[in-house]
Amino acid sequence: MNVLCRFARGITRLNDRIGAVAAYLVLPIFALLLLEVGLRYWLGRPAVWTGELAQMLFGAYALLSGAYLLVHSGHANVDILHGALPPRARAAVDVATSVLLFVFIGALLYFGSSIAWQSTARLETSMSAWNPPIWPLKLLIPIAALLVLLQGLAKLIADLQALGLLPADEEVLPEAEGQEKGL
Amino acid sequence: MSLELLTLLFFGALLFFLLLGLPLVFVLGGVSVIFLYFTWGPGAFFIVASQMWSTMGSFTLLAIPLFVFMAMILERTGVASSLYRMMHLWWGGVRGGLAIGTVGICALFGAMCGISGAAVVTMGTIALPSMLERGYDKRMALGCINAGGGFGILIPPSVIMILYALITGDSVGKLFAAGILPGLLLLVLISGYIAIRCWLQPELGPALPPAERGTWRERLLALRAVLLPMLIVVMVLGSIIGGIATPTEAAALGVAGALVSAAVHRRLDWALIREASRRTFRLTGMIVWILFAAHAFSSAYQGMGAQDLIRELVLDLPGGPWATVILFQLVIFLMAMVLDPLGIMLITLPVFVPVIVALGFDPIWFGILFIINMEIGYMTPPFGFNLFYLKGIVPPSISMTDIYRSVIPYALVMILAMAIIMVFPRIATYLPGLLF
Repeated sequence: MNVLCRFARGITRLNDRIGAVAAYLVLPIFALLLLEVGLRYWLGRPAVWTGELAQMLFGAYALLSGAYLLVHSGHANVDILHGALPPRARAAVDVATSVLLFVFIGALLYFGSSIAWQSTARLETSMSAWNPPIWPLKLLIPIAALLVLLQGLAKLIADLQALGLLPADEEVLPEAEGQEKGL
Repeated sequence: MSLELLTLLFFGALLFFLLLGLPLVFVLGGVSVIFLYFTWGPGAFFIVASQMWSTMGSFTLLAIPLFVFMAMILERTGVASSLYRMMHLWWGGVRGGLAIGTVGICALFGAMCGISGAAVVTMGTIALPSMLERGYDKRMALGCINAGGGFGILIPPSVIMILYALITGDSVGKLFAAGILPGLLLLVLISGYIAIRCWLQPELGPALPPAERGTWRERLLALRAVLLPMLIVVMVLGSIIGGIATPTEAAALGVAGALVSAAVHRRLDWALIREASRRTFRLTGMIVWILFAAHAFSSAYQGMGAQDLIRELVLDLPGGPWATVILFQLVIFLMAMVLDPLGIMLITLPVFVPVIVALGFDPIWFGILFIINMEIGYMTPPFGFNLFYLKGIVPPSISMTDIYRSVIPYALVMILAMAIIMVFPRIATYLPGLLF
């Protein structure tokens, strides 16, 4: 197995694992908000940290979903023409359009890093009544962008293999599960 | 380069890359970043990255994973089958009764969950085989499930309404309140259509033989099925409209209700939680990442000055304000053929809503029209979600053509409802005015 192939498989597995764990964050978010309502209405005493902690978990939840969705082809797209193409043509189109992915995620990575750097350098906190540190969450922005970028590269490698431009000895991406439809 | 040309190029590029199948998030993000670079320079990206941070901190957005999670759980509990049994006993004796009852259950589901998929999937697996077995016309049966599935987004709570409120800056509570009467109007119109049609042509939806209608004792016992769903509706909607909880907190109450009802039906296990968490993660992640990219899009769009350009163009249209409203609805309807609802909202609402307000219309009322329009989009080809949901679960004897043809009369009824709400805006604006 060549190096690129191993890289693509490794990244895909990593993002899949991270996503599988992050998906469960919805449970503590739910529990915290339920606790908040409970504390306020039955004990008459709101806690300062429940809502804010739920909000921070949601931030991490949202950020970490990006790469996971890319692994499973879960980002919404228009499939009318694309889905009708033969596999090789589809791979060629995907290679061409991936430029926009790299432009957007690249910009996010670059400017996300500078925001994260400013925040981490002064160990920024939220300045609320509870005042938790928020620099780890800001640091997660460039990390999440990097994970999406790496997954974009893995997808690019898979597409180039499908086109025969790279040697392919094994499948690097799992079977696509498609989008979760119906908002 | 002139503003007109730049605007055309911008929307042209969006459309081009969308049709090539690149996910919406990267189309919006990528095209906008390139345009931002050439119009405002790289400094503009700072705004984009910092707006991403404020999206993550939106308390309203936090309601979305919870409403989705709730729907994913309710879809797998036995709530729907006990409701269907109750409805069968009470309505089976009426011509078309099973179809009317199915629409009613869909409405109840709409009042419990914020997304449309749950009702279509559950009713498609439970009500459809049962109706076909009892000699209902297949188009009548398919169509009522398809149409009923759309209630999820019009009857509050509704994830689409939350997103609409987020994009236009309106209040979520007001939109929720505004959806109630139009939702009931649709329920009455659709049930009315089924009742009249089956009265005239009994072979489409024959009444059940008396042996199947059950005794009064059975009927009264079956009413238990409604208790738990009603409790969830009261907890979620009641707490929002009564001002006791924010929509986000109400969503958490709803999740608790859904878990309890799963436990009562003995379906609550780790497999259910795992499946629901994973699907919630995917749907929520998809929405939030599109919103991340949407900041780049709106910065680019406003930075170019395209917003003013389009506003001026539209205000110059002949035919006056009403022609504009109808034109907007047509554009939305056409876009619904290729694009998902969030994409349509992000691209059209920043353009349309300021114009609507400038023309003196109520943005909440426009939101309700928009959502009914989306509902029609859900059930009409080529991109209707509900069609694909149904195709995935119907027996092989039913073809895609059957499904397509089944929606025609129901889509016409919904267009009629839209017209009624346009002529009588009070249907949408009365409750928000009363409650808030």
